[in-house]
Formats: sequence, C-alpha cells, structure tokens
Amino acid sequence: MSASLTLGHAEAALRPRARRHARHLLPWLLLSPLLLLLAVFTYWPLLHTIYLSVVDVRLYQPDRFVGLANYQGLFRSPSFSAAAWNTVIYIALSLPLKVLLPIPIAVFVWCAGARMAALHRSILFVPTLLSFVVVSILWIWMLNPVMGMFQSVLRPLGLQMPALLSDASTAIYTIIGVSAWKVIGFNALLYLAGLASIPRELIESMRLDGASDWRITRSLLLPLLSPTIYFVAITSVLFTVQQVFTPINIMTGGGPANATTNLFYLAYEMAFESFNIGFASATALLLFIGLGALAALKAWLLGRRVHYA
Amino acid sequence: MRNAAPLTLTPPWRAIGNIVLFIATLSIVVPLLLVIATSLKPPTEIHGGLPWPQEPTLGNYGDVFDKIPLGLYFWNSAATTALRVGGQLAVALLAAYAFARFEFRGRDLLFALTLGAMMLPHSLTFLPTYLMISWLGWFDSWWGLIVPNLAAPVGVFLLRQHMLAFPRDLLDAAAIDGAGPWRALWLVILPNIQPALAAIGILLFIDCWNEYFWPLIITESQNAMTVQIGIRRFLDAERGDELGPLMAGVVLVSLPAMAVFLWFQRRILETFVSAGLKG
Repeated sequence: MSASLTLGHAEAALRPRARRHARHLLPWLLLSPLLLLLAVFTYWPLLHTIYLSVVDVRLYQPDRFVGLANYQGLFRSPSFSAAAWNTVIYIALSLPLKVLLPIPIAVFVWCAGARMAALHRSILFVPTLLSFVVVSILWIWMLNPVMGMFQSVLRPLGLQMPALLSDASTAIYTIIGVSAWKVIGFNALLYLAGLASIPRELIESMRLDGASDWRITRSLLLPLLSPTIYFVAITSVLFTVQQVFTPINIMTGGGPANATTNLFYLAYEMAFESFNIGFASATALLLFIGLGALAALKAWLLGRRVHYA
Repeated sequence: MRNAAPLTLTPPWRAIGNIVLFIATLSIVVPLLLVIATSLKPPTEIHGGLPWPQEPTLGNYGDVFDKIPLGLYFWNSAATTALRVGGQLAVALLAAYAFARFEFRGRDLLFALTLGAMMLPHSLTFLPTYLMISWLGWFDSWWGLIVPNLAAPVGVFLLRQHMLAFPRDLLDAAAIDGAGPWRALWLVILPNIQPALAAIGILLFIDCWNEYFWPLIITESQNAMTVQIGIRRFLDAERGDELGPLMAGVVLVSLPAMAVFLWFQRRILETFVSAGLKG
C-alpha cells in the first residue's frame, strides 16, 4: 500500500522499469558538475604534475622524457636546499606558536565572564577576516625601520628599530610571527568550542574531590581537548606551507639571499620567473611527499594519544 | 558558556590570564586602529607627529581612487566572488544531495575523492591548472578566476552533514504527497537548510574575497585584477609618500568581510568553528 503511494504519479507506476532507470541515473546527474570539476581541476592536474616532473618541456617540440634528471638537478641547486631547510623551520617554529599558544588564551577566555568572553571572541576573530595581503602591508609598515610605528616609539627612548625584514638572520622569524598573528585567534576559537562542549558535571565532581585548577586542566581539560589539538596540529602544517606564500611574496620576495623562501614559493618562482616547468613540478611533488610523510608520522604519534570523549 | 566561570582561578592565575588576554587584544586592536587613524591623516601629518590625526580628513579615500583604478578592482572582485560563491553553492548542494540521499555504486569512493581534494594543496596542482587556463584562453579573465574554483569540497561536506541530519519523516511525507526527488530538494530540503547554506556562503565569500595566490598568477590587467592584487601593486608602486591613500585602500579592501562579519557575527563564529572542527 505505502509502496504504491510513494511511487507517485500514475505514469511512473505504469512503467516501473523506466522509473527505476531514471532513479539510477539521478545521483550521477546531481554529482556530474562536482565530479567534472574535480576531475579537470584537481585530479588531472595532479597526474599532469607528475608527468611534467619527469620531462623536459620544450617550445614547439615534443616533450622529452628525462627520468629523474629534474630531481637530480634540484638536489644540486642551492636554492632548493635553502627552501627545503626553511620549510622545516617554518613548520617547526610555527607549530608551537599556532598550536600551543592558543590553548591558554582559550582557557582564559573561557574563564572570563560571559560578556567579556563574547567581546574577546569577536576580537580574536578579526585577523581571520583580514586578507593576508592586508596583514602583510600592515606589518611591513609597523616594522619599517625608518618610518614605521615601532621606530616612532623606540626613537624617543634612544633605541634604534632593527631592519627585521631585510636582515637575513631575522626575516624568516618575522614572517613566522606575522603568520602566527593571523591564525592564533582562530585556533583559540577552535579550542574554545572544544572547551564549551566539556560537561560541567565532570569539572564540578573533580572540584568536589578537592582537585586544583592546575590538576583539572592537566587531567581533564587537555585530554578532552586532544582531538581539537590533533586537528589544529594537522591543519597548521598545511596552512603554514601554503598561506605563508603571501607574506613571503609581499614582505621579502623570498630574500634576502633565499633566507625566507620555502618550497611552495620556490616552485612558484621556478614556474613564473625562471620558466623551468620541470623543476617547479618536481619541487611541488617533493613538497607533497614530505607533507604526506609528516601527516602519516603525526597520525601515528598523536593518534594513539587522542581521547575521543 | 551559560554558567559562571568554569574554573575558579586563584588570584595569581587570574592576574596572568588578564595579562595574557590584554596583550592578545592589544596586539590585534592597536595595529588596526593605527591603520584607520593613518588613513584619516592629511599628508602633512603622515610622517612623525601623533599616532592619531589632529585634523581628520577623508581625502585619502578619494585619492586612492585617483592613484589606482580601485573601482574597477572592486567590480572584478565583487562580480567574480558573487558568481564563484553562487556556483560553488549550487554545485555543492546538488552533490551533497546525491551523497546524502541516494544509494549508488561507488558512492563512498567518490565521497572519499571529494574529501581528498580538500587535502591536495594548491601548490601541487597550480602549474597544470595554469597551463590549462592559458590554453583555454581564460588567462586574465573572469572565467579563469571563477571556473577552476567552482568545486568546494568543504561545502559538499558540510551540506551533506546537514542533509543527513534532516528528519526522514518530512521527506517521506513529501514522497507520499507525490513529490519527486527534485521537488523534495527544492521545496522541502532547501528551505530548511537555508541557514546552513547562508553560513557556508559567507565562509566561501571571505575565502574568495581574500584570495591572493590564484589571482596573482592568473590576472595581469584591469580586465580581471582583484582588489587584493590591486592593493599589492599599489604597495609596490608607492615609495613611502602615499602612505595615506595606501592605508585608505587597505581599509576599503577589508571592509566587505568586516561588514559581513558584523552582520552575521554569531552565525559566522559558529560556522567557522564547526567547519574547522569537522573539516
């Protein structure tokens, strides 16, 4: 009875096979735009990158297969080793700033009264809304040793503002700081959402048993927060490698003397400044392989300790 | 966060907490106020002097339009963002409907490939995509900005979650009343997931408006250049003597995302945070 009702129009009831056929095709019809786009603009380029990394692309001539020559060329190039090493520095120094520092901020906001917490949430979100272009321009200006904001505070005190961005020994740390400034607030909001979902009864009962704030934090809050910490750690790696492109491009251009370039930026430069498509593709692939290995390592190290509440 | 403070901090910890939050707030608010203040300064006050303007003027906001074709950049950004986000939502809505409401062979594999696309960085695919766009003749055009970005796996994922949570009874009732799958999507599901759709749209809007890498490599003239690229070019061109107009431009470029945020504050915070957690 109900089956015949759900079939709907009489026409469909008369031709069940045709209708079943249409039902079969419908999900594919719905999916076709997405699948077409992903195939053309994500998965095909992925395969094409692999291809480009093992050929020599020549104008007006067919591509020449060169095996691993592009990779060998990369390993010999000093800018590649500089970029690879910088990528490691970017990730290693960004992780504590972006993953750990937001935790106490979130806990303190959480402990503030409801009205203060709402205000803090809004303020913490603002750097997420600004584009990285705006953030980069903002900090170039703040840090400018001649006419920036910091120097106008330091000069009356008889101090000189160091040229952080044009000094090879400080430029990369400056960019790490700026990119952390952009995301710390957002990550704190992620932790705040995690904290808000912790049942109050658990905290109350620990307190009744005489536990201190520190003990509650260490043995209740942090374990329950661990899925969020894990998630933030994973996304921060990808974010650091990708998004730091903009501050590098705007604030230093990879310099001075390759001090701030990373593998993504190097791939961009090879593609659009030296027009070496093979090297650029090989760099992008090596970066991807490195990130994949890092993600697997982290999943193995952290995954075992994550507590899903 | 309905109850009072979850932890009753001891006085030293409370002091530390207040200091931490004070510094965090200051580090965000002060630079922004300085930018706004500088954008309001007349040329004579730009260098040296006080951080705030003594004779505030909106002159810089007019000047920036004379120095660069900011109006055209705004038009390019607004139009391509609107078209792209609209397209992303439409594509994601249809795909999420298929993933959430239909059984078919290969569904789980295709869903995994969709999520996998989220993990594939731009850095890996930008070169072939760029070559393809040039080959199609879409370099330096709106097409090049819009079409390669129309698939938004995050949107598919979030919309699917919402559709899975959708009450089955309502759909059954619609089917009994003779609604086919299209009518069910259009008349039953769509009105009910509108808040989620709006929130995801806002998320995609901010993402697109602020994008830098793709428009940097795919545009080169006023035909398609977006505000982010325009303001960046202005930074290169000015030699320190046009700080006022530059800062006015920075404020203008940031306004749309800020305005959207102020309008939909609560919803954005919820969406971003849940998207972050699940995505």
